[in-house]
Amino acid sequence: MSRRAGLITALIAVILVALWFLPAWAPYFYIFVAAEILILGLFAAGFNLVFGYTGMLSLGHAAFFGFGAYVTAMLLLHFDTPLAFALIASLAGGGLLALVIGFFCVRLTEVYFTMLTLAFGMMVFSVAQQWRSFTGGSDGITGFAVGSFGLGLDLTLGNPAVYYQLTLVIVTLAGLCLYLITISPFGLILRAMAENPERVAFTGIPVRRYRLYSFVISGAFSGLAGGLFAPFTRVASPETLHWSQSAEPVLMSILGGSATFLGPFIGSAIFVLLETWITSFTDRWMLFLGIVLALMVMYLRRGLLGTALDRLTKRG
Amino acid sequence: MITRITTPLGAAVVGAGLTLGATASAQEPISIGAIYILSGVGSTYGEFAQNGANLAIDEINEDGGVLGRPLEITFEDSQLEAQAAIQAMRKLVYQDGVDVLMGLDSSGVATGVVPVVPEVETPFIITHAATPDATGKLCNEWTYRNSVNIPQNIKGAAIMADESGANSWTTVGPDYAFGHQSWEYFQRYLGELNPDATFSDDPSFPAFGTEDFTPFINTVISNQPDGVFISVWGSDLVNFTRQANDLGFFDEDFEVLMSLGAATEVLSALGEQMPTGITVGTRYWYGAYDNEMNKAFVEAYRERHETPPSYNAQNAYSAVYAYKAAIEKAGEVDKVAIRDALKGMSYQAPMGEVRFREGDNQALVGPTYGVTAEDPDSELRLLDPQRNFAAEDVTPPLSETGCNLGG
Repeated sequence: MSRRAGLITALIAVILVALWFLPAWAPYFYIFVAAEILILGLFAAGFNLVFGYTGMLSLGHAAFFGFGAYVTAMLLLHFDTPLAFALIASLAGGGLLALVIGFFCVRLTEVYFTMLTLAFGMMVFSVAQQWRSFTGGSDGITGFAVGSFGLGLDLTLGNPAVYYQLTLVIVTLAGLCLYLITISPFGLILRAMAENPERVAFTGIPVRRYRLYSFVISGAFSGLAGGLFAPFTRVASPETLHWSQSAEPVLMSILGGSATFLGPFIGSAIFVLLETWITSFTDRWMLFLGIVLALMVMYLRRGLLGTALDRLTKRG
Repeated sequence: MITRITTPLGAAVVGAGLTLGATASAQEPISIGAIYILSGVGSTYGEFAQNGANLAIDEINEDGGVLGRPLEITFEDSQLEAQAAIQAMRKLVYQDGVDVLMGLDSSGVATGVVPVVPEVETPFIITHAATPDATGKLCNEWTYRNSVNIPQNIKGAAIMADESGANSWTTVGPDYAFGHQSWEYFQRYLGELNPDATFSDDPSFPAFGTEDFTPFINTVISNQPDGVFISVWGSDLVNFTRQANDLGFFDEDFEVLMSLGAATEVLSALGEQMPTGITVGTRYWYGAYDNEMNKAFVEAYRERHETPPSYNAQNAYSAVYAYKAAIEKAGEVDKVAIRDALKGMSYQAPMGEVRFREGDNQALVGPTYGVTAEDPDSELRLLDPQRNFAAEDVTPPLSETGCNLGG
């Protein structure tokens, strides 16, 4: 166990170091691809706390991701807020919104929960789409400058390589926090609830409240990912709030393996890389992406990382 | 996606006489990156733009290229989303290493992309997106536009509206930057021309991509204005017109004025379903320019694609020739040199001589308006009478644009 854990830690460390020096060895464009993978990976990992760990399928997580994007974009646009504080606001904003929406949703389970999250998600989307004077309507928030980071750090955030490395650090730290949560006693309770909520309830644990905790933490990390996404794409648009954006972390978690912590990150890499490559070859990229995704879901049921780990443990 | 490396054999043979090193560099293509809607709603616009750009590139390459080097073009899908278009732009510049950029179909996409253009330090000619902000409050030295923008387009509409004698107006427009800005400019310009004009407090802004326009059509019919100004465009306008036909919209007493109703994409989709006798506008009309280049362009385009070229086709075609002129003026393929060569440059396009105004980089061009009429030779409607608006009559002065890049 400890030898395997050590091996995995070493492997992750090597990957992180390689990623840190990515601007030095990869083609320049891959800085953007990698940043997108990291940000969407954090979104998917945050989402997976509710999905993989707590066993609830939410189709409304774009609300928290997009809300985070709007919070950061508007703070940068109107107040020139240092990015660090804008990101903290996105994290808090995502969590708060999840508290409000979650308060209603966690009362239901299974498909009813899913439908309710979808409904709330689209409600947030409609507000952003229609409140033109405040949110810019369907055009979203654009034209904001990405100035200083704050916290006494002198970073040129306009430089894509710098922004990418910053993203790497924040996503790594956030990922570590999430991981610590999943292996804590609290995380174990979540997993137990996914297996059998009745049994957990019989031990005296308030299941509904724990579901809400999970939902709020998940929303906060999704909000943080959104906060990183807006300065990266230079726009906060209603599409980031749309249900189709909510479908992305679902796909990513399933692709990578929702039963593993790093699965959503792997899924994000598969998804973004496929999209990047396929769009270069054909206009009908959505069709091809759909076919590839369908095949992967059919034949790699436990996701890429899940299936790989299964094979490894069987052999060992 | 489509990398057109049609190095003319002739150039290679000529080059063989020169030193070996010079030959190699002389044959390396000049690369254009283009971003258009290539999937989903509005992909016809992307298709016409691709046709126009490819036609210009083939012509130029057959003629020996630019500075002896052939042109090649890479298209990317904007997906009608700003973030996708920005990522596509980064990919074209950093991955494909293009020398220049062109395209953009939507105002909403343009407002996201334009502020990021200086970061990629590559000249960008917008060929369709019409928001005034692109050459207004968001303007920058890397971004040019060779197509008619909203103020130019709508000033023409306001003059037509003024002459129609209708006083009370309402609108149906898409619910994003373009629809709202079109209506603002329409009110401002018509208000100046006709102080008696009144404007509805309750205009209709259906979401872009709306399938059912019935409620919006009925709202206009029940309000009974003197005139309705329609800025809906693309496949939305096709759907709108079909549904409006069924509901008797065009039999009502009010004037109908469509700012983009004469787009070839729309006319060819509608055919005889486009009612006659309504006023429609476009940002280039193939029959409106009596010059050699336009004649050759329309003929070559018809021969390849069996439809007349649309404004989007002309604009893309024209942008390729603008880059040819700029690169020849600069004498080298260098991004800063091309950018500076475009400044205040005039070049020949099917629309006639086009000049980028110094100060905001907006091309001095004007729209065409006309009344739809039957064409005995074709199912497509034509414009009769038609009227070209000169750039100086429709272009707002620099002081009103919110942009000043200096002379």
